[in-house]
Amino acid sequence: MAETLTIFTGQGYWSPLIWVAGALGTLILALFVWSRGRREYKRNTQQELPFLSGERVDNPRVDASHLYWGLAEALKPLLGRLKAWHSGVLNDYVGWFIVILAAVLLLALG
Amino acid sequence: MSIHAPILAIAVPLLGGFAVPLLARIHKKIRDLWVLVVVLVVAACAGYVAAHVLKEGIWIYVLGARNPQETLAPGGFPIRIMLTADAMSAFMGIIAGLIVLVAFPFALKYIPEEEGKTLSLTLGVLLLAGIMGMSYTGDLFNFFVFLEVTSIAACGIIGFRTWTGRAPEAAFKTILLFGLSGLFFLLAVAFLYGEYGALNLAYLAAQIKGSMVDRLALALFLAGLLIKVAAAPVHFWAPDAYGEAPAAKTPLLVVNTQVSLYGLWRILFTVYGGALNAGVGWLVVSLGLLTMVVASFMALAQTDLGRLVAYGAVSQIGYMMLGVGVGLVTLSGRPDYGLVAMKGGIFHMLNDALTIGLLFLCVGAVEWAKGTRDLRELGGLGHGLPGVALCFLLAALALAGIPPLNGFASKILIYEGSFRLSPILGAVAVLASIFLLAVFVRAFQGAFLGPKAEVEVKLPWGFFLSLGVLAVGILVLGLVPGFFVEELVTPAAKALWHGRALYLAAVLGG
Repeated sequence: MAETLTIFTGQGYWSPLIWVAGALGTLILALFVWSRGRREYKRNTQQELPFLSGERVDNPRVDASHLYWGLAEALKPLLGRLKAWHSGVLNDYVGWFIVILAAVLLLALG
Repeated sequence: MSIHAPILAIAVPLLGGFAVPLLARIHKKIRDLWVLVVVLVVAACAGYVAAHVLKEGIWIYVLGARNPQETLAPGGFPIRIMLTADAMSAFMGIIAGLIVLVAFPFALKYIPEEEGKTLSLTLGVLLLAGIMGMSYTGDLFNFFVFLEVTSIAACGIIGFRTWTGRAPEAAFKTILLFGLSGLFFLLAVAFLYGEYGALNLAYLAAQIKGSMVDRLALALFLAGLLIKVAAAPVHFWAPDAYGEAPAAKTPLLVVNTQVSLYGLWRILFTVYGGALNAGVGWLVVSLGLLTMVVASFMALAQTDLGRLVAYGAVSQIGYMMLGVGVGLVTLSGRPDYGLVAMKGGIFHMLNDALTIGLLFLCVGAVEWAKGTRDLRELGGLGHGLPGVALCFLLAALALAGIPPLNGFASKILIYEGSFRLSPILGAVAVLASIFLLAVFVRAFQGAFLGPKAEVEVKLPWGFFLSLGVLAVGILVLGLVPGFFVEELVTPAAKALWHGRALYLAAVLGG
């Protein structure tokens, strides 16, 4: 049974059963902490309205582009270069094939 | 009939594909039933071949011989067309059979009749024939023929939506690059045929000693196949192709990429195993790293859900290349961690087929329901399509290698194996996975979370059947990985790792 569940990686092993047991334990602990929390939350009141930076927002949609915005901004120069690389121009694609061809020829014949 | 299973797995879809338009003229239901029968026969044959190979060893099937096991013509020369199924080819056949069977209910409902459902089914069945042929053939020229069958059928599928403009453009780019791939592969075959006068894989493997012509042919094989496996920097066709093809057919396109990867392993390990230098292994490892990193970064820049998943699919090719590449680098010394990494790379092929297959089907379901895949227009679909949202989340987490899902089970083998070759390799692989997780969390949030979006279209039952089976597969592979690794993956990895002598002996005797 244990061999059915476990994979051995040479230096250790991975057993999903142990992971699931650990995750369940953590979940139970989290639920316990949550159950000990404050109880003055009221549904359908102002408590449920979202606030962004202290400002009330009428359309509280967080767009996909907002998520990891900082990461995307930081990577903009790199992403710009990568986008330019994926130009959509077939000549460029064939050009890269020639680069690969040259590399494998050098490697195999060198 | 069972002794003919390897050839039936190829012949039935090949002939069955051409029968689809004829049967559609009689009645659409007969056509659908016929395609179902073809798919079931292929899946059954793939399962039977795998069971037989894992129990009895390499299965040789010779066409034109009085006895299908008669490999050598008088004079001791393998001249006939031969299918050679070892554990690795059986593993590839299982992936193809499984994916086509699971995606079938989705495909049956996804493309309406007025958009050319008959043509779509025909191309899908022909693509399956090519994939099965590439998996089982023991002959280089036949491998080339099936490579071309897959290329043509795949490009037909990619350019299927001619009215969109983008699809024919993607198909045009893909067919040109696939054409280059096939051309260089054929040139390599011609060099070896000119040198040795044979096309049989085992015979060539026995002859190849690393001469100039052998090495030239190796370079041409590599150049040709690297295009088809979508390795960076010749991966450009893949995001376009996966993004533009009908979602129901994209899982099969992913398997098509994987079978090219299988072909690369077959040539590097079985044909050239004894005459390889570690530089080739390092090339595969380097391109694997480049592929996973570039594709993960490019996924972040996408606003189209289909293209985002497509880049995710390309990044996974990098993991497979890294895993098996570590095995290639260490082939001469054969340390334990080389086999561990190879098991990870090969196991990841199966996991990738399920997770990426599920993601593409989810994208198809979203497009079916909302008529768009643009993340800037989507949102809140989790309320109307909770099943699809759950499947997308499950597949995205599996793809990013979150435990206890199947992606983690294969990635941990790749991480550990590659880390022991060089810690930098393992670290880059982990970082790329973390990055991919961020990208898919963003995609999930963009498409499924947020204020409720109205979904007026009811999804067909076939969609949920395909999604459900793939989701269960992801969970099962993740929760009981040991069984699959021991029973399917390890024999496949060993067939490449030190099965070369057995492969040669099975065909050539001795």
